[in-house]
Amino acid sequence: MVTAAGTAFLPRARLDALLDLLREGGRTVIGPTVRDGMVVLDEIATVADLPVGWRDVQAPGRYRLSDGHGDRVFDIVNGQMSWKQFIFPPRQKVGEMNRSAADGSVSFQPSAPDPSRLAFIGVRACELAALGIHDRVLAGGTFVDEDYRARRDAALVVAVQCTRSASGCFCTSMGTGPEVRSGHDLVLTELDDGFVVNAGSSAGERLLARLPGRLATPGEEASVSAAVAATRAAIGDPVATNGLRDRLMDQLDSPRWAQVADRCLACTNCTMVCPTCFCTSTSISSDLDGTVNVTERVWDSCFNPGFAKVAGGDFRPRREDRYRQWLTHKFATWVDQFGTSGCVGCGRCVTWCPVGIDVREELAAIAPPALPVERPFIRPAAATPGRFEITTLRASHPETSDTATLTLVPSEPALLAGLPGQFVMVDLPGFPAFPISVSRYATDHLLLTVRGAGPATAALLNTPIGGQIGLRGPLGTGWPVDRALGRDVVIVAGGIGLAPLRPVVDTLLAEQGRFGKILLAYGARTPADRLFTSELTAWAERGMEVLQIVDRSGPGWAGHVGVVTNLLDQRDLGSRPTIAFVCGPERMMQATTSVLRDAGVSRERLFVSLERHMQCGIGLCGHCQMGPFFVCRDGPVFALTELGDLFTREGI
Amino acid sequence: MHTGTPQDGDLHFEVGQLTRVEGEGSLDLRVAADGTVAAQLRIFEAPRYFERLVVGRTPDEVIDIVARICGICPVAYQMSAVHAFEHLLEVEIDPAVRLLRRLLYCGEWIESHALHIFLLHAPDFLGYPSALEMAHDHLELVSRGLSMKKLGNRIVAIVGARAIHPLSVRVGGFSRAPRAQEFDELYSPLETAITEAEATVKWAASLDTPPSDREPRLVSLRHPGEYPMSDGRIVSSDGIDLSPDDWRSAFHEVQVPWSHALQASAADGVPYLLGPTARVALAADQLHPRAAAALKATRISPEALRRNVFHSIVARAVELLHALAEAADIVASYAPPARPASAWKPKAGVAAWATEAPRGLLFHRYKLDAKGIVRGAQIVPPTSQNQAAIEHDLALFAPAVLHLPHDEATRRMEQLIRSYDPCISCATHFLQLKIEHDR
Amino acid sequence: MVATRPPRVGVVKLASCDGCQLTLLDLEDELIAIGQRFDLVEFPEATSRRSMGPYDVLLVEGSVSTPEQAEQIVDLRARTKLLVTIGACATAGGIQALRNWSDEPEWRASVYPRPEEIASLATSTPVAEHVTVDAELRGCPIDPHQLLELLTALRVGRRPQLPDEAVCAECKRLGRICVLVAGGTACLGPVTQVGCGALCPAYLRGCYACFGPRDAANTISLAGWLGQDRTAVEVDRLFAGFTGYAPAFREASRRAVEVMQPPARRRRSKGETT
Repeated sequence: MVTAAGTAFLPRARLDALLDLLREGGRTVIGPTVRDGMVVLDEIATVADLPVGWRDVQAPGRYRLSDGHGDRVFDIVNGQMSWKQFIFPPRQKVGEMNRSAADGSVSFQPSAPDPSRLAFIGVRACELAALGIHDRVLAGGTFVDEDYRARRDAALVVAVQCTRSASGCFCTSMGTGPEVRSGHDLVLTELDDGFVVNAGSSAGERLLARLPGRLATPGEEASVSAAVAATRAAIGDPVATNGLRDRLMDQLDSPRWAQVADRCLACTNCTMVCPTCFCTSTSISSDLDGTVNVTERVWDSCFNPGFAKVAGGDFRPRREDRYRQWLTHKFATWVDQFGTSGCVGCGRCVTWCPVGIDVREELAAIAPPALPVERPFIRPAAATPGRFEITTLRASHPETSDTATLTLVPSEPALLAGLPGQFVMVDLPGFPAFPISVSRYATDHLLLTVRGAGPATAALLNTPIGGQIGLRGPLGTGWPVDRALGRDVVIVAGGIGLAPLRPVVDTLLAEQGRFGKILLAYGARTPADRLFTSELTAWAERGMEVLQIVDRSGPGWAGHVGVVTNLLDQRDLGSRPTIAFVCGPERMMQATTSVLRDAGVSRERLFVSLERHMQCGIGLCGHCQMGPFFVCRDGPVFALTELGDLFTREGI
Repeated sequence: MHTGTPQDGDLHFEVGQLTRVEGEGSLDLRVAADGTVAAQLRIFEAPRYFERLVVGRTPDEVIDIVARICGICPVAYQMSAVHAFEHLLEVEIDPAVRLLRRLLYCGEWIESHALHIFLLHAPDFLGYPSALEMAHDHLELVSRGLSMKKLGNRIVAIVGARAIHPLSVRVGGFSRAPRAQEFDELYSPLETAITEAEATVKWAASLDTPPSDREPRLVSLRHPGEYPMSDGRIVSSDGIDLSPDDWRSAFHEVQVPWSHALQASAADGVPYLLGPTARVALAADQLHPRAAAALKATRISPEALRRNVFHSIVARAVELLHALAEAADIVASYAPPARPASAWKPKAGVAAWATEAPRGLLFHRYKLDAKGIVRGAQIVPPTSQNQAAIEHDLALFAPAVLHLPHDEATRRMEQLIRSYDPCISCATHFLQLKIEHDR
Repeated sequence: MVATRPPRVGVVKLASCDGCQLTLLDLEDELIAIGQRFDLVEFPEATSRRSMGPYDVLLVEGSVSTPEQAEQIVDLRARTKLLVTIGACATAGGIQALRNWSDEPEWRASVYPRPEEIASLATSTPVAEHVTVDAELRGCPIDPHQLLELLTALRVGRRPQLPDEAVCAECKRLGRICVLVAGGTACLGPVTQVGCGALCPAYLRGCYACFGPRDAANTISLAGWLGQDRTAVEVDRLFAGFTGYAPAFREASRRAVEVMQPPARRRRSKGETT
């Protein structure tokens, strides 16, 4: 028995005792095991299930296993799949959105966090770092993945220091290994006849105290240091990380992106095997009547077609756009988002790329080493689980041939407490959730103005009066109306872009004396495509300047014809303090902001609202990323200064 | 669509498209003024040239390709092909692999027989256009059929990854052999299904059967130690007994002007019958004891089973029971092979083999070059062999129903055709339809 | 929203093996419920009821490979609201589309003693080359879950969830080990559309592209990588399979067919290919 919480030595023949201890309290032990000639992570019943005597040989796009290499237990390095699969499963039920067959009422039942208790054995230093990164991404922000947190809190982690390395390894460069420093309960280092064991937590110390064996000798401790140092030397320092974030972001136009895209299959393998990639989509399975709708969260990938698609098109249509997104996110914008690189140097993306693309080579080619610049950024942690609340449809008011404004009455008052410009995620039984901006807040209801652009929005518009609709929100940033105090306000809207701006108008008109002159410039395709037409007149009567223009004229239209920027040409907006809020199609916003800047509005007082593919609305699924931003969480309203040249660049 | 067009004193029945059969075919029946009946079974499946498609391919590729001849019995095609190759290449097969293949084949028999008995054929006996309509009044019967069918599919999927066009069969064995615990889910459903299949035999024997009398020549495989399925000599009720290598000495394919498919024929021109009736008749002694007992309990004599074409549903039910019972035995004793597949070396020569598809003997013959590449192929599916027997039986049966109202007579003849479970998609080569006019 | 009148559904076939329409009957647990919610007015494989349409939904199996089929599909389209092609034959021409590069009369002669009596088009082509197709289910055969999702989506009114990612994505989610990287097995998973559930790697063999090329399949890169350990002919032959006529695989398939199946001599030696 090891009595002190010091360094212990566990003879190899007694490893089973450790497994028994780990299993106490009903834990299932998970570790590497060889199946069908390949290493997987799965349940370990006995020491014989561990890969005793097996070794791996890895190269870009190649992995081979062989056995008969003595009796070492942990001589294989990383296998294909990481521990992510147990803490953040590839498919995870998140809830059910059901519709009663009897009365049509709707209910949402979120799934309870998974209660299973696991113990991991064989976790490498880079993997511990990956778990730490996921802790920040999934459980360290405003919204927390409760299932992740439950699984993570319940897991015991037995780490192993690497005494061999694979050709893809670069933990040394990323500062994550091979030495195990934190995040573990126990750590083993394998020597010729057994394991040197240390504890890394109080739970680990309790286990260590009950482990058979003896204290490690100074010689054994020295052997541990030597073995790990040898691993470090074998890996070297393959990636120059100094200033990598800025070096990469300075190379968004590198010709190398197109070259690597010629080789890249966009097959998603690098993201699936990556221990830190966290992007997900929702998948719904319904019964034939759409009464029971089970929603699952499914691993997705920024390499997938459709990942960055919205109704109007794909923001990253080319393979080079997708490869650039992946690489810059992992090594650069991740730092902005979470204060750490997204890469731990485990080398999986190198080995498991089917065509052997080596990320270390690409980094060296795209962003050769330069002077270091560091920009630490840590988001405050908070914990407000977002869940769907049921609202009732009170009325539906048609605006145009394909657009209507819905009056929704929530039972949860928080839904009414949003800011102008915020949005809600709408959940209908049988459909993936989708974002809709709030077009007005009232005392007991909110209004959503919805264009029937696809089946889901069509289904929303077809909801019968009295029908139930799930909403989550309000979400995202709003228009900074407080910054408009004392200033002239220019509101420029294109088409349905007027909907998220209407709450701004409501706010300004409610306290008109506190703001300067208010100008609304509104462009629509045809006169019949204009929203809120009766209100437009009422607003003008209350002293706002309301200008309208249409692309194509129609019956009874005597107003302007042309693009919305025509309404702003030749205006002097620079001589008085002015703030501008712009919402519409992305190209319209690009043109408008350019005209507004020419007219004298400064970039930091120019705000736009962006549309991106959103599935979760709370910064967890990854679809809406744009450079360092999650548009759902950090936007949709951005100042032009925040966006920089990301705003006008294609394929970001 | 059933239309009758009497012409010049002759009676002409035409069943425009046979329904509740796999693939597209039709029946043309002519009754001359003197009462002579001529039946012509036409097949208008589009030609897909499988015997040419496999040229230039490796044996393993051929196993994938020939499955696509028929979505109903892909395993049969894979089994005839893989055994033919292994026979030529002299590959030693692990006994566990052999059992696993038999299990796979049992799965297909269960699926195909359950499909035919409950979904395609039962509506004939009970008077419905389809099983879905039949389910309004006989939900329990349809559900029983569906659950057995599902079980058959599940067996194929565990061994072969999916129910249709399984993908694990390779020359020498399998790409992967299931672990024993993967079959755990089957134990209890198999027990239930065996009991239900016993009831099915009883039910099938109780069906009201139209009178029919014939003396068919029966052909099936015969193996000394097991019910005919994947291995054995080709035997007949009248003394044929030969190795599949010698198929061509007793059978050949002919082109008949009224048929769209090449018809297989015995050397002497006498039609022959394949399938459950033939197998049950020729290998009654090798039925699983539970299947044999269930058959005996029906009190249908071997002679009646053979001579009344409508009793084929009983024979099929007996085989459904047999396949379930055999599958249960294999699953209970299964231990994975040491290696999923044996190694093999290419060799030039002719590879021939026959196995028993659910609807009868399926013959394959391939010519391989020294690199193991297929240079020629002949595939003779059961339906093209049964075609002459079907026409023969129709001609024999027709006079008994000609006095009935036209629709009823047509329905009866369709029922007869369905007794053979014809799988028309299987016909690998077809001829253009030529309508013959009575003159 | 759930429709009130059951949609009139037809299931028909062109040149094919019947496996895809059998998939509907293989939905054993749901079949009776489907029959209550959809009016299966035309499905010759399963029912003696017949209907010439009109159809709300028509599932079309098989490729267009005879002159009659080319007329038939135009006629069916005119009587159908929503035409859905099911399976590799209907969506890509099927394995029989490999004849599209061959000397078709010679193929006919190699199989039929009297080839002049065969009416067959020189090509086997996907339905979409003949008429507008509203939706497609890929696969050889189609996947039962996708078929069920299509039917469910028709009822619920949503767009069917039919992912267009690579097989690799699902393969990794299922925790399967890459047969290409770890086994050196030729696998088309990276360029093939998901839908089957990544079955081949689960059974330790390479994907052979039953679901056809995925969106923007980089076949050139994959072929180049596979060509390191294989001859060009072997690599091309991988693509010349059940979806070999799909545009992304077409060029490799054409080369494979030319090498694999050179036109045989007209006078066949008696016997081998009857």
